[in-house]
Amino acid sequence: MTGQDDDWAVLLRQALAGDGRAYRSFLAAVTPVVRGIVRARGRGFDAAQCEDVVQDVLLAVHLKRQTWRQDAPVRPWLYAITRHKVVDAFRARGKALTLPVEDFADVLPAEAEADPTERRDMEKLIAMLDDRSAQLVRLIGFDGASSAEAGARMEMTEGAVRVALHRAFKRLAQLRERHVD
Amino acid sequence: MRTDDLIRALAEDTRPEPPPARRVVPVFLPAVALSMAGLLAVLGPRPDLAQALTSFVPAMRHVLSLALFAVALTAALTAIRPEGHVRLWPLALVAAVALGLLAWAWMATLPEARGMALMGKTNSICLIAIPILSALPVAALFAALRGGAPASPTLAGALIGLAGGGAGAAVYAVHCTESSPLFYVTWYGAAIGIVTVVSALIGSRLLRW
Repeated sequence: MTGQDDDWAVLLRQALAGDGRAYRSFLAAVTPVVRGIVRARGRGFDAAQCEDVVQDVLLAVHLKRQTWRQDAPVRPWLYAITRHKVVDAFRARGKALTLPVEDFADVLPAEAEADPTERRDMEKLIAMLDDRSAQLVRLIGFDGASSAEAGARMEMTEGAVRVALHRAFKRLAQLRERHVD
Repeated sequence: MRTDDLIRALAEDTRPEPPPARRVVPVFLPAVALSMAGLLAVLGPRPDLAQALTSFVPAMRHVLSLALFAVALTAALTAIRPEGHVRLWPLALVAAVALGLLAWAWMATLPEARGMALMGKTNSICLIAIPILSALPVAALFAALRGGAPASPTLAGALIGLAGGGAGAAVYAVHCTESSPLFYVTWYGAAIGIVTVVSALIGSRLLRW
């Protein structure tokens, strides 16, 4: 347990110092843990909805990563962020789910796994960004471009790409916030 | 978007940002300096300031205001971490000292003089000036701590209000000539209370994440 936390702390410290590879390892390492918590807490959510919440948590971890104190263990911090976002998700989907449940009571069981729209929350949000930001997030996220490659394709400097990407993530979180209301 | 894709995109955004706590000093000090400059320009310091600072009872206005500021700011810096457990007893301690001083002054003041000492001559300007003088410090703290992730945005906002209100009260105390704790605990307290309630409301919106 503590060994794992130490590993995470090392990765997150490197990430905060600007090491993208360490950061990616960190996010990849914590994702299964976050997913486990979301699934355990989010009873009543199907797998797709859970994954949306997992992505919300990761976005929050990303935007709030500087609130981690470098001398503190990672786990309590990560759990607190996860809990906060799961509560948010309950509040939001509680509203969203109570409405259609009665209306579509007979179609709901068949749709639960098949409907792909549930998994596309993040994509919907990306589509709400301005065109260039959306293109940038897609280039890096879907096409696996690095900042430098994305910059070359979009005729931006790498520095400008990083600034724009950071703004895009902040904007996504704001859109999500509004989406949740 | 698959979660792996999201992770890849997030990992490309590695611009280091300073922790929220480290943003406080660069914005807060100028804000307090401006408040102080405003006070000195508009209201001016009390003429016997040096004397008031060396006698215990009047000096406690400054001490209590600054203590409230320090304790509330410490608590606010904890509150903006998602896993932070805010300890409220230091705040309760400051409140207890203030109320103890209030009770002592009540006993020490002749019954017929209590009403005058409590109401003072400047309670309305105190109620207006402290919130105005607190506005910039509070705004600076919100600006610095916006990047935080408080478990309770309302609590974090209230603590920012207490800290900014304490700073505003400490600035106002440089001008204020009312030396009875019956006056300053009551009216400073009320003014800081107003700042705190407003800040809690602002926090509940501004610090959501």
